[in-house]
Amino acid sequence: MRNPRIESGSGVIVQGITGRAGRMHTVRMRNFGTNIVAGVSPKPDVLEIGGVPVFATCREAVLATRANSSVLLVGAEQLLGAIEDAVHAGIKLIVTPTEGMPVHDALRARRLTQEAGVTWIGASTPGMAVPGVAKLGFLPEAALSAGPLGLMSKSGTLSYEAGYRLTLRGVGTSVWVGVGGDPVKGTYFSELVPFYASDSQTEALLIVGEIGGREEEDFAEALMAQRFSKPVFALIAGRSSPEGVTMGHAGALVHGSYGAYTSKKAALERAGVTVFGSLDEMTSVIARWHASRPHG
Amino acid sequence: MFLLEHDAKSLLALYDVPAPEGVLFDGVDIESAQLPQPPWIVKAQISAGGRGKAGLVRTANTQNELRAHLRAILGATHKGMMVRACRVEQQVTGVTEAYISFMVDPFSAGVRIMLAEFGGVDVEALAGTSGALRCAIVEPKIEVITAKVRELTKGLTFNIECALNDAGIRLAHAFIGAELSLLEINPLFVRPDGSWIAGDAKIITDDNAMFRQSGLRALLDSRAIAYPEADRKERHGCDYVVVDPDGEIGLLTTGAGLSMMLIDELREVGLRPYNFLDVRTGGLRGNPARLISVLEWIAEGPRVKVLLVNIFAGITDLGEFSRLLIESFSRVPQLDVPIVARLVGTNVESAREILALRDISLFTDLDKAITQVRKHLLHA
Repeated sequence: MRNPRIESGSGVIVQGITGRAGRMHTVRMRNFGTNIVAGVSPKPDVLEIGGVPVFATCREAVLATRANSSVLLVGAEQLLGAIEDAVHAGIKLIVTPTEGMPVHDALRARRLTQEAGVTWIGASTPGMAVPGVAKLGFLPEAALSAGPLGLMSKSGTLSYEAGYRLTLRGVGTSVWVGVGGDPVKGTYFSELVPFYASDSQTEALLIVGEIGGREEEDFAEALMAQRFSKPVFALIAGRSSPEGVTMGHAGALVHGSYGAYTSKKAALERAGVTVFGSLDEMTSVIARWHASRPHG
Repeated sequence: MFLLEHDAKSLLALYDVPAPEGVLFDGVDIESAQLPQPPWIVKAQISAGGRGKAGLVRTANTQNELRAHLRAILGATHKGMMVRACRVEQQVTGVTEAYISFMVDPFSAGVRIMLAEFGGVDVEALAGTSGALRCAIVEPKIEVITAKVRELTKGLTFNIECALNDAGIRLAHAFIGAELSLLEINPLFVRPDGSWIAGDAKIITDDNAMFRQSGLRALLDSRAIAYPEADRKERHGCDYVVVDPDGEIGLLTTGAGLSMMLIDELREVGLRPYNFLDVRTGGLRGNPARLISVLEWIAEGPRVKVLLVNIFAGITDLGEFSRLLIESFSRVPQLDVPIVARLVGTNVESAREILALRDISLFTDLDKAITQVRKHLLHA
């Protein structure tokens, strides 16, 4: 079972720590409480960054620190190699915010991580967070607060907006996973249904989806197969987008009825999911649910 | 990116996939063209299905007929897309029609192979005919794909089996070699002797792999005019789509999902956004060039009456962003419309001061910003 829950104090590696994004986000993640224990970089002259020791390979970093999670802040062209490095080093949770990973590379990385029993989140993900414990990636603090709502999203910005509005209304998240907007990726919504079903901190689930692919439809099927008993909410972007045009995310392409908003909404509603037409509706309904909980 | 049929066939030619001889026309000037022998098929080049049913694929026997068909089809719109070019190719006769496609199957991280003895209809129709469609999902490797095609074609009419096997080998090389997401030949014309030719070709390429796909890159560079969105992304590093040519609200937004949602919500309340945009504020790096380009594109909207800036920045410093924005506005005076800004993130206060110098009011609540947009539209 894929498991994105990071335990408090659990060691995290940053691969690509000497790059611009690597340096900046190492600081931000640490400020949030993430226990960053090592960096990886091919640059031979850098031994540490801000007190974090830097190693040449993931295997050396794991041997020295026993870390089991890694955030990969490397370019799209190096991403497959960096994932292979992490898997071979024994890392069990890999988060890859990098945008622009070639689809055929993603096919290989998905096969590799599945065979090795590794939870891979990404690519093109804003990251994930367990508020109060750690964040791996870019999720902005204004949108993060601890609470009972599990959150999964394809889009970064739309989930920021959702998390921000919910935080203003006092609704926090348990485990937030940005699965990313790519068509081929490490973790789909449906693959985290068993995790959210068993996670005791999660009392309800919100997915922030968008047109394209069939991820929302698969998620609906997984809910039914799991007999998922917690409330599930969904916000789906792109209902007024034209056919045949990619709307930013490579995965957000509607062709014929495939990937269309109406198909997603219908499938989700059949599985008992509340599908919202607007951000405003989402915020008020979830805030109402939050306030009406027996111990809320 | 969805390739137009003409370009899909050009790409496949690099992998020795045969197609009828064809010429691309964006006008009716057929005298100077090297036409194949008649009769011809005139096919609209747009990235949407259902061309045949919409009357956008026609047969011509004479040059007059050809001109008349081109006149009728060019400029027509189908599913919101205007036909800017037609491919004219030689009609193929004395053949039967089969079907084959390879497609990335995301969930299984494999390639879905589908083939059938009958073609020329939608794959959905084939799937509905019991036993017509033969499918398998395999590892994305050339030898694995071709072996599975051989297995799937066993027992088909002999000439079709031969044709699909040969096609399977060439198409697997194209699919893996060019890193495609979808490759569909429907119909695949099969001659009695087992030779074959691609009647139509549907391809979706992977923009992310373009950096190592020099053949595809060269092809698209020569056809930039047919793919304005992809060309724009390549040159400017952002996604921009005009969603309503008569739209009244220009959008300067970041993030694909939030931008889509904003368009949905504006339309829901009867407002008309002009464009979709994911400007990617994280990639600006202190340079206003991308913002200037975007404002110039929005200024082309003949009915744009107000500009709505909506940035939810996880990382971007909003003060720095506002300075770039002000500089960009001064460089695009032709965009002479009121501006409403909604910004959330780091350093909002400094952004508020900077924007106030240009009399731009800053909102942190999106609904309040939209109310302000409405006011400007009423007064415009």
